[in-house]
Amino acid sequence: MSATPNHLSIDILLDYWLDDTDAATADVVDEHLMQCDACGKVLDGLIALGDSVRVAFRAGAVSAVTSDAFVRRLAGQGLKVREYRLPHNGSVNCTVAPEDELLVAHLEAPLQGIERLDALAQLSIEPGVQHKLEDIPFDPQVGEVLYVSKLAEIRNLPAHTMEITLLAVASGRTREVGRYTFRHRPWPGH
Amino acid sequence: MEGLDASAVDSPEARVARRIAGSAPGEARDAEAELYRLLAPRARRYGLRHLRDAHAAADLMQQVMALTIEHLRNGQLREPERVLSFVLGACRLTVMDQRRGERRREDLLQRYADAVPMADLCIAPRLDHQRVADCLERLPERERSVLVMTFYDDQSSESVGRQLGLSAGNVRVIRHRGIDKLRRCVDAGRRTR
Repeated sequence: MSATPNHLSIDILLDYWLDDTDAATADVVDEHLMQCDACGKVLDGLIALGDSVRVAFRAGAVSAVTSDAFVRRLAGQGLKVREYRLPHNGSVNCTVAPEDELLVAHLEAPLQGIERLDALAQLSIEPGVQHKLEDIPFDPQVGEVLYVSKLAEIRNLPAHTMEITLLAVASGRTREVGRYTFRHRPWPGH
Repeated sequence: MEGLDASAVDSPEARVARRIAGSAPGEARDAEAELYRLLAPRARRYGLRHLRDAHAAADLMQQVMALTIEHLRNGQLREPERVLSFVLGACRLTVMDQRRGERRREDLLQRYADAVPMADLCIAPRLDHQRVADCLERLPERERSVLVMTFYDDQSSESVGRQLGLSAGNVRVIRHRGIDKLRRCVDAGRRTR
């Protein structure tokens, strides 16, 4: 139950906070926290860290590969979501409106049989620079990679083109799975 | 609950509770403030975990502390050294009441308003959100995805795993690694400021 005879481990506290424990374990943790301020402070730190992750993501300061269910939930909570759906090897003209709060790209791709997926991103305004995303999470059954961009950064970029290449990695070799082009224009007047 | 009391008979909380119970009602203001300082953050933490709302947790904290001090003043808590059990029990009952929709909070808060000493509390650490964002961006993709999806609305490992095509166990491993790196990165930023 505890990492030391007297204190709970971070994992136990995190499981407790995220409701990843059974009811009996949650009761034991409740009791422990009622008498242990050291563990309580660690939990406070985890809660504050979680809050900050939420604030950073909500502010468009963090990019992440996520899921459609996650984006639907955020939209259901009232977030203004701008989504672009790209067919396999497709391209799109895109922008960010002042009221947008989440910028999402759905990249359709044949993902069956792929064990590891990397992505390369190249921007026309950064010639010669490649941004590599390694081992991105994906569900092969879904057939798409869903990428939430750093909206706060993109909002300030001039017109440019971004190319994303999805790469299957196996036994040290890479194979191109799909290539996608985003032609970005700033919102008029911004 | 025996464990909670057995280990707490000689605790600072039990000593302060005995002082309040041994004084005339309202005559041990210092002890009441001290008890509040010791136990209010714990009651609030319980509320946050079980009610998932900062305002509701703050209300629960006030209500439980008011009830506890009132019971100690009036001699209704016959074994003051069992104060931790009492507070935990009051937290549980309050949460159950709220879940049943029996919103007695306002009632109780008004009834016991004078009993709450309202000592100053320093509850949650403040983090630099930009620093956290920078540290998140340094994490491997998989860890960042899991942490964002976990913490945005406090999702369990099973829920995050279902959405990303991962097992719950795998999500917990990734989550553990990600949290560890994130905490170190944020802490390092604090130290260099």
